[in-house]
Amino acid sequence: MSLYNFKKIMVVPPAKDFIDIMLSKTQRKTPTVVHKGYKISRIRAFYTRKVKYTQQNFHDRLTQIIQDFPKLDDVHPFYADLMNVLYDKDHYKLALGQLNTARHLIDSVAKDYVRLLKYGDSLYRCKQLKKASLGRMATIMKRQASNLTYLEQVRQHLSRLPTIDPYSRTIIICGFPNVGKSSFINKITRADVEVQPYAFTTKSLYVGHTDYKYLRWQVIDTPGILDHPLEERNVIEMQAITALAHLRACVLYFMDISEQCGHSLEEQVQLFESIKPLFSNKPLMVVVNKIDILTLDELNPERKTIIENLISDDKNIPVKFMSTVNETGVMDVKVDACERLLSFRVDQKMRTKKVDNILNRLHVATPKERDNVERPACIPDSILAKQKENAERNERRQRRLERDIEEEMGDDYILDLKKNYAEIPEEERYDSIPEFWDGHNIADYIDPDIFDKLEELEREEGLREEGGFYNKPDYTLDDTLKEIRDMAKQIRLRRFQLRDEKRLAHRKNKPIIPRTKTPKLKDRSVDKLRQTMENLGVDMSGTENANFTKSVVDTRRSLVHVGPSTSGSKVPRLALLDKESSAIVKSTGKPLKRAPSRLDQGVKNTVMKKKLHVMAKRDIAKKMSKGMGLKGEADRFIGTKMPKHLFSGKRGTGKTDRR
Amino acid sequence: MALRVQFENNDDIGVFSKLTNNYCLVAIGGSEAFYSVYESELAETIPVVHASIGGCRIIGRLTVGNKNGLLVPSATTDVELQHIRNSVPDCVKIQRVEERLSALGNVIACNDYVALVHPDLDKETEEIIGDVLGVEVFRQTVADNPLVGTYTVLSNQGGMVHPKATIQEQDELSSLLQVPLVAGTCNRGSEVLAAGMVVNDWISFVGMNTTATEISVIESVFKLNQSQPSSVTTKLRAALIEDMS
Repeated sequence: MSLYNFKKIMVVPPAKDFIDIMLSKTQRKTPTVVHKGYKISRIRAFYTRKVKYTQQNFHDRLTQIIQDFPKLDDVHPFYADLMNVLYDKDHYKLALGQLNTARHLIDSVAKDYVRLLKYGDSLYRCKQLKKASLGRMATIMKRQASNLTYLEQVRQHLSRLPTIDPYSRTIIICGFPNVGKSSFINKITRADVEVQPYAFTTKSLYVGHTDYKYLRWQVIDTPGILDHPLEERNVIEMQAITALAHLRACVLYFMDISEQCGHSLEEQVQLFESIKPLFSNKPLMVVVNKIDILTLDELNPERKTIIENLISDDKNIPVKFMSTVNETGVMDVKVDACERLLSFRVDQKMRTKKVDNILNRLHVATPKERDNVERPACIPDSILAKQKENAERNERRQRRLERDIEEEMGDDYILDLKKNYAEIPEEERYDSIPEFWDGHNIADYIDPDIFDKLEELEREEGLREEGGFYNKPDYTLDDTLKEIRDMAKQIRLRRFQLRDEKRLAHRKNKPIIPRTKTPKLKDRSVDKLRQTMENLGVDMSGTENANFTKSVVDTRRSLVHVGPSTSGSKVPRLALLDKESSAIVKSTGKPLKRAPSRLDQGVKNTVMKKKLHVMAKRDIAKKMSKGMGLKGEADRFIGTKMPKHLFSGKRGTGKTDRR
Repeated sequence: MALRVQFENNDDIGVFSKLTNNYCLVAIGGSEAFYSVYESELAETIPVVHASIGGCRIIGRLTVGNKNGLLVPSATTDVELQHIRNSVPDCVKIQRVEERLSALGNVIACNDYVALVHPDLDKETEEIIGDVLGVEVFRQTVADNPLVGTYTVLSNQGGMVHPKATIQEQDELSSLLQVPLVAGTCNRGSEVLAAGMVVNDWISFVGMNTTATEISVIESVFKLNQSQPSSVTTKLRAALIEDMS
């Protein structure tokens, strides 16, 4: 649990909102009806209440703001300093101080006006006095506008500060920008700090938590610091400095051995020396990062001496090598840091009285023998067996798995396929075997009995050949068989042809009659009629020229005599224009003529008819696609037939004609 | 092995259960969640029995028992007694005790060989304890508190006493009980140990609130894993100091 919680500070409204909130509250929560006819004491009380109520609200709200914000003198010096760096102590104190004065001013304004209200002799005067007092209170608040906005910004920033417990176990990571501080905190905690390849990616303090020895450890990632005097440091660097100065923590000073951060090793050591005073009385470690790029051995001699000097300089400051990229040494650094801090803190606590109270709990009382009675534990066999099994399983887990080897070797890992060849002695296991040797394929000679086997096979083969196993059986075709074969060939051929023909002559735009339906046959014929009638017993003689025989006319052959028959000469045979006109009007002897179809009226010839047909089709299509009878924009439109506002309620003045 | 459990959102699980090397009594609760934790761990080896005493669920504080026997207060009804008799192994002797201090669990702490009892306990009860539970009986206080059953947790392999018990007192008790002792807490600093945990020779159940350091102390002093009681003074020492002050 942390000691400080800045997340619960109430919102500080801007001045205008502040005034609005207060005045509307007065309006809502005090009586609003007063009449001139009331007794004057009642009127005075009415307005006094309003003034007092407003003043009380202002007072309460301001008090809350002043109390909510942490007092710089009361909080832990780390937070006090951090707030000084971030928000400027003077400004902060001034803002709160001015709010305090505003509160007093409002109090005195209210007091004055309440006193004046006692002498108000009419409703009007009382009201004016109330108005004046509220106005003056509002003016006082308006003057605090800048302070209020500043405090609101501070509040928002404070509430987003990481929750750092200055008294708990803390590990602080510091160093030049871009040396891998944030990568390290990301490796050992779940803080998820942004890591980028440029300087000052981390601009404020970040906190992560990690576990070690059943305890929770707070890890603080600080922004990078550069080597210059304290006065020149900017806000970002100063945050790191405050953390280093005030938190009693284990400090990890990060260095970049590859100098990729843009600062040479000399500079890094120099910075270390110059901020060393901050590390006094704290467990300290130097962590040399990025050894995946450059190891100590690969360093050129003069740089190597720098680091060696660092190591030999102070035996109390261990120098650790690690790489956050391939995670070598990361856990070592964490364990070492935790261990150093733990022993440091325990040492310090042992000096105080605190530990005396718990000394009895650090003691294990071991029994002294008082008799010779055995008092064994009573654990059932099944449990013992299970425990043993678990232990064995753990032991089995002790086997170095392939995955462990892979993790250990990292990128150098190669899957060794040969190491488990138990039958081949170890020294021969890795011998390389050529593919060809003396013109022979080695794989062919892997089997030592290969020649014997081959001989055996060949012998068997020879026996078979001798035995006539492979002779062709002779069989000849007789004539009938030949004929059948020919026929079958032809049938097959014909079938293919038919299939192809059918494919080619695909009937496209013709109606397909389902197989289940028999096609409708024309079964009305004169002969049939006659026959059925005769069968029924009707005498059909003398009906050769009856009308019903003329009903069906073959247009190609039907001939009629048109006009007077002149000298029996034959009139040229004319094909009838129309099937229907085959009937002959008796009175005239001319074929029955019907009125021409409307399609043909006024049409000169077939060419024109075709043209017209096309045109008509197009025009009709156009009309249809337009959507017949659809609503268009030219149509009259009435949205609401009876608008509610015109048809409900009492009629006021001047609404009648609008209906 | 120590398991964190909760009885209906309550961390005082020692109140609602009684664990011995031969049987386990569990209170009848609203749901079977609590019972099933015990069931899954123990049911294969020893009977896990739903029980109530005089209609109460606080069976852990009302009864006292070990692998040899079980003492129940006079408030126990015949039906309840018969149910327990039917459920626990036959070798366990069960006895109803007429005793003024009827919360037997609070006034008696025992393992399979020795018992500490409240100084004001009846003479007859003391005899019954010796006969039924088969233990040596000592009248004692723990950290100036007569409720030895509440402030002491014992198994055959180790014991834990009230956190305020002095070193000298611990040594005395340890020699008396013939098991290693540690002063400690459970449930994030609760000193009513017997209410916060139950333990036998191979397993323990602790309240949900118990911290990791507390569990590590419990496991080592009761020898529930490979570590020995002495690790409290060696391996765990720094962590304990850090955690407690």
